[in-house]
Amino acid sequence: MTTLPLDNSHHIREHLRERASATVKRRQFVSRLMIALCWVAIALAALPLGDVIINLFIHGWASVSSWAFYSQLPAQPTLFSPDAVGGVSNAIVGSGVILGYALLGALPIGIGIGVYNAESDSRFAIVLRLVVATMVGAPSILMGLFAFGLVVVQFGFGFCILAGAFAIGTMMLPVLAASTEIAVRNVPATLREAGLALGAKKSTTSLRIVLPAAITGIVSGAILAISRAIGETAPVLLVIGGSQAFTWKAGDFGQALPLMIYQDASSSYPAQRAQAWGIALFIVIVVFVLSLTARIWANSKQKERR
Amino acid sequence: MSNQESTVNDISMAQVAESASFANAPVAMSLRNVSVAFNGRTAVRDVNFDVPQNAVTALIGPSGSGKTTLLRALNRLHDLTKGAVVTGDVKLGDIDVYGGTIPTTVLRSRIGMVFQRPNPFPTMSLYDNVVSGLRFNGVKKKSILDDACEQALTAAAIWDEVKDRLKAHGSTLSGGQQQRLCIARALAVEPEVLLMDEPTSALDPISTASIEELIGQIKNHVTIVIVTHNMQQAARVSDQTAFLLMADDRAGVQIEVGPTSKIFNDPDDSRTLDYIRGRFG
Repeated sequence: MTTLPLDNSHHIREHLRERASATVKRRQFVSRLMIALCWVAIALAALPLGDVIINLFIHGWASVSSWAFYSQLPAQPTLFSPDAVGGVSNAIVGSGVILGYALLGALPIGIGIGVYNAESDSRFAIVLRLVVATMVGAPSILMGLFAFGLVVVQFGFGFCILAGAFAIGTMMLPVLAASTEIAVRNVPATLREAGLALGAKKSTTSLRIVLPAAITGIVSGAILAISRAIGETAPVLLVIGGSQAFTWKAGDFGQALPLMIYQDASSSYPAQRAQAWGIALFIVIVVFVLSLTARIWANSKQKERR
Repeated sequence: MSNQESTVNDISMAQVAESASFANAPVAMSLRNVSVAFNGRTAVRDVNFDVPQNAVTALIGPSGSGKTTLLRALNRLHDLTKGAVVTGDVKLGDIDVYGGTIPTTVLRSRIGMVFQRPNPFPTMSLYDNVVSGLRFNGVKKKSILDDACEQALTAAAIWDEVKDRLKAHGSTLSGGQQQRLCIARALAVEPEVLLMDEPTSALDPISTASIEELIGQIKNHVTIVIVTHNMQQAARVSDQTAFLLMADDRAGVQIEVGPTSKIFNDPDDSRTLDYIRGRFG
């Protein structure tokens, strides 16, 4: 058995002090290097994004800033009037109506599934969670095909806005369910217990205590779902028919913004290609404003509770 | 006699007159061979005692002795935990708590609870918080809710502080005020028994004192069972004390139950004395 060299501990102390300055220098160097690497990573991520946004403004601003873009229907340019592209009023309304119907269906069902998944341990909930996780990653064209098969063909509605809403709704559903589940799980258990301890039923506690407490998270999820859905081309391409007329009726052929981009972008007329840029810019602005509003709202809500 | 002993004794002597008074009081709740197990592992074993009406019963004991686990068995809060099994008899008056004759929602409105950390509902105003229990149980009439709100807040000694801002959120209150709000919320449904799970452990000394004073006032209306880590607190506020300890198999067992003055001055079990005198725990 060896004895601990307690009387030698001074040496260790001296040794440590000698090393200290070297250590500090090395750590400072590593720290600066890492911060520099972080900036490089940020630049790598931000440069292409900045490039996209700048290009959107360069090519699309003229369209977005003209009143005709919002007020007129699309027109077909000719060789004699190559700039007569009209506006995209029908597509703006079409996209709005599709999103509205999609939300009408997907919000209650998605939130319901999310709450159920968060609050239940049943085998069904486990399976449902797996289904949701899979659907979140499913390519959007699948939802388009699903809507095409079910609404357009099976139910015989034909190409229409409703079918587009169905496709977009099924796309938003898993996003809503997943974000709701996370938001509900983040509500402290002690609030749930407080409700139950007051004699509230489990369902009452979920609906009137847990759900309101999770609302900011749920709204963030809804905004994310909307942002994804508004630019989604594949599902609507398959099912809404692509009308050039103005309509908001669920049973009519419809038009949507991303579909217009798809049509305009392949045109041989520069003015139509410019319109495609304009629509893309318009979508980016809408999503940006939505996200910003949601963030400001959530912050004020959070402040109110503190 | 060491300083520590005399301090404890000084506190408890002041209680003697009061704590003797519950001897003939009716029984609010009775526990017979109550055990709680989680996934087959016993957490509390064979607890037996009566909770006298309109008195304060304190559950004391070191960490892990099962105080909170036992408390939560009284209002069936373990029902939420998968794998939790409560055995033995818990009675509220003549009603078998686990007998299936009383719905848990009704039971929990008759046995209220205050938690370790103040937990006002963050999305509700002060007013909505206080009357939430009534609303959950279907009361809609505004005059009833208004009255209940004022009564409960008055009983919780916070009415004067908040009466002009009932629309504000619970989070605008201090920690102590929040806890009194939670007490008001629990009292609003007029429970017969109020369970308190270390209600002052997250509070500063002044707020703690105000909650303790409040406990002395509301025990005329409601029977209280309080879990506390703080022995001085048990001595100050309680009439009866139950001392729990972790057995060799890590299950909490009841060592001694009796009038607080007896437990603190002349306990039967040497382990109680050791704990009271701060020799462990």
